Amino acid sequence: MKVEATSYGDRKVYSVGGFNRGVSSWLQRLPTVWVEGEVTELRRSDRWASVFFTLKDPEDGSCLGVSMPRGQFDALRLELADGDRVHCFGRPELFEARGEFRLRALSLERFGLGEHLAALERLKRKLAGEGLFATERKRPLPLIPARVGLVTGNDAAAKRDVLTAITTRFPPASVLVAETYVQGPRAAGAVVEALRALCREGVDVVVVARGGGSFEDLLPFSDERLVRAIAECPVPVVSAVGHEQDTPLCDLAADVRASTPSVAGRLVVPDLAQLLERLDRSRAGLERGTRRSLDRERQRLDRAHDRLRRAPRLLVERRRATLEQSAGRLRALSPRSTLERGYAIVRAGGQIIRSGRAVDPGERVEVELAEGGFGARVEESG
Amino acid sequence: MTFEEAQRELEDIVQRLERGEAPLDEALKLWERGEELYRFCKARLDAAEGTIEELASRAEAAKP
Repeated sequence: MKVEATSYGDRKVYSVGGFNRGVSSWLQRLPTVWVEGEVTELRRSDRWASVFFTLKDPEDGSCLGVSMPRGQFDALRLELADGDRVHCFGRPELFEARGEFRLRALSLERFGLGEHLAALERLKRKLAGEGLFATERKRPLPLIPARVGLVTGNDAAAKRDVLTAITTRFPPASVLVAETYVQGPRAAGAVVEALRALCREGVDVVVVARGGGSFEDLLPFSDERLVRAIAECPVPVVSAVGHEQDTPLCDLAADVRASTPSVAGRLVVPDLAQLLERLDRSRAGLERGTRRSLDRERQRLDRAHDRLRRAPRLLVERRRATLEQSAGRLRALSPRSTLERGYAIVRAGGQIIRSGRAVDPGERVEVELAEGGFGARVEESG
Repeated sequence: MTFEEAQRELEDIVQRLERGEAPLDEALKLWERGEELYRFCKARLDAAEGTIEELASRAEAAKP
């Protein structure tokens, strides 16, 4: 349709209708697209050719008027209520009579829990197929992290729970907190960015914490980008998102899943009191063990010393015994014992007489007995 | 050396000493090493000073 302008000198002026027609024909060149939003202000009348409603962006409240041919709308039997989320297929249009911009809907689909769940299930299977959730990928958490990274919303509860758990259990802990969006369409990207920023700053473990929320509130934590970022994070990640019964996909990709933010806090730091106790026990054992070794060596030394001291006396006693033995044998061989058995020694002129022919009658001899002796004269000889 | 490594070595040494099998020279060396490990672990715990920082404020501070 041609839009004529009237010329006033060098000024071209359009009529309102002409302007609207011009914009309208320009808008009609735009492609048809899908738009997602919540239905509000649904207006339908049997007398109208079209049904009207407003699509509202649940995140920032932006609104878009929508019209749809009534016959088409009725045929879908959607029975929409205020707040229902829909996907609307259509093209932008200008209602020329009123200069009102709106979306001319050609098709309309309810987008609800079922669709979300199905989409989630498809994504879960795909990522599982890539091995993103595999047990072999799970890394152990450091015993004493030099610094803990915490990604959390500015909702006080989850953040406070994590920090309280950490500082109670391990007062010397260092924590770097990245506050970010944890809800809405910007959340997934924001959490990914926060994760990266923390890793750039240098942390050795990251906690991603978010309190409970509706299924849709937690959807960003099943976003493919976020799930992949967690799996690819260079340091271990503990996920504490939602409540026990929620299992956003980020829980599956994380190295450890914590049922609550407090549990996550307790998981990433050791119990200082226990650690000190264990250390002190080790030290006591060290002293006890060393003393035991020392004592044993000392006893061994004492025993050796004793034996050393006893050695000379033993030697003397042994010698003495040998001596006594020799003396005994010596005594056995001495003539005295022979005399004691009743023998006598006869001497003449100091010579021991061994033969009767060695003396003459009348010769004086000396007789030696075991006890004493006497002199005598030989009566006969031969 | 990490805290874990030091702690593990310390506990191994304690076990060996408590079995009382090591000769004196070795026992004394083990004891010295054990004390060193104990001091290392203790220092790791004492040196760490608890801090809670906000990443955003760090980024602010980093700006000129």
